[in-house]
Amino acid sequence: MRTLTLNDYKRRLLRVLVHIQQHLDEPLPLERLAEVACFSPYHFHRVFKGMVGESVKEYVRRLRLERAASRLKLGSASVVDIALEAGYDSHEAFTRSFRNAFGRSPSRFRLVRRRVPPPAPSGVHYDESITMRFRTLNRGGSMKVEIKQLKPMRAAFMRHVGPYDEVGETWDRFLTLMGKDGYLGGNPMMFGICHDDPEVTPRVKIRYDACLSVDEDFAPTGDIGVQTVAGGRYAMTTHAGPYNQLGKTYAEFLGQWMPRNGHELRNAPCFEIYVNDPYSTPPEELLTDIYAPLQD
Amino acid sequence: MPTAEKVDLYKDNKKEYAATTKPVLIETGPAVYLSISGKGAPGGSAFTDAVGALYGVAFTIKMTRKFAGKRDYAVCKLEGLWPKLNDGTASVNKDDWEWQLMIRTPKFVTSADLKKAVETLLKRGKGADCQRVELLSLDEGLCVQALHVGPYDEESKTVATMQSLAEKHGLRSSGPHHEIYLSDPRRVAASKLKTILRQPVKKASR
Repeated sequence: MRTLTLNDYKRRLLRVLVHIQQHLDEPLPLERLAEVACFSPYHFHRVFKGMVGESVKEYVRRLRLERAASRLKLGSASVVDIALEAGYDSHEAFTRSFRNAFGRSPSRFRLVRRRVPPPAPSGVHYDESITMRFRTLNRGGSMKVEIKQLKPMRAAFMRHVGPYDEVGETWDRFLTLMGKDGYLGGNPMMFGICHDDPEVTPRVKIRYDACLSVDEDFAPTGDIGVQTVAGGRYAMTTHAGPYNQLGKTYAEFLGQWMPRNGHELRNAPCFEIYVNDPYSTPPEELLTDIYAPLQD
Repeated sequence: MPTAEKVDLYKDNKKEYAATTKPVLIETGPAVYLSISGKGAPGGSAFTDAVGALYGVAFTIKMTRKFAGKRDYAVCKLEGLWPKLNDGTASVNKDDWEWQLMIRTPKFVTSADLKKAVETLLKRGKGADCQRVELLSLDEGLCVQALHVGPYDEESKTVATMQSLAEKHGLRSSGPHHEIYLSDPRRVAASKLKTILRQPVKKASR
């Protein structure tokens, strides 16, 4: 079993940053970037954001704007041409984004001497050589994480496609159907499998499975399917508090704790076990155990 | 789907489920519970199996009713009656402790609902302990109530303050020691556990 060091993570990430730099004009699909980085596509984005401090989208947008700033300064191309090169459909859209990033409209920017580039948590800017500061990696050190060996888990599940904050409706239906047939006896585990990263996939397309652990004798019926969650090595951390804050814990767990602690993520989704019942527990007391699959 | 609001017994009976560490006298109303009796150390296998059976029945009743379009309600937290704990007859050996674990339930839940739920669970092979679950009506009336923060083993201090309050008002115990478990002991550090202690009382005869 080879452990990944922080340097391995950094090296792979640098490959992605260089690739982005070299292909700034092209669409940069996440699967391709994950491939370049040799990371699992399931987890690549959280690792990227955790280490770089910005989402891929935010990073690329900023770099394109910084390049546009450079063009404004060093050439005489029209603002419209520069806007198109930066990937904007219209002069107005470009001007808005540019002003947000640089504090001035593109035309005024051309006239002004001193320029301050937009902030970059990673310290990586367009016109500089790529030396990552990884400042964001200072967090994630205090996370309490356990490494566990799990057996495969058989689960009945209902698939939810749509915003993560609407999964409650699917759970309601699922638990009512399972409950009336006696499947809530014997303390079954309730957990969720997120197939898509809410930060990456459009809200309405997110796939999430509401799962309840079942025995061999449960057969799929109607909307309720059966799947087996793979066993193996997992890293587990507990998120305390409301479900709508889970994203932050995932980001710290996958994006900061993983790189620092020498673990490589397996190409399979994470799942979250709901320890207490959200219908009778105040949001601040909710506990969710997040499991991230590791290479064996 | 019914448009009636979901019943939350704790919200509807706020006074009975709010407590501070300072003991107070409260008047409680009649209440219905799903309950299971047993004996054994808290946290031991008999105890844990009983808790599992109680919640299994509670959720099965709730979901069966919900599926039938009936009024929905929140499943309440675990409570327990400990008959010997405050009359000085409790055994030193925790394995001998007798308890009645309960979950408060709306009055519209019937014994037919209970019977049906137990049958359903038996069909799934999860019914063994479930058959012991009963519907229980309690009317504790006047009680001394206080919030205990900390390990269960250290309740005597809180109980002592409750007893002084009772004595001050010329009251004595009239029913079993009652606990309402606000925290989950599996997940909360012992020092941070929050439990409401309730002692039914009545006028002491001279």
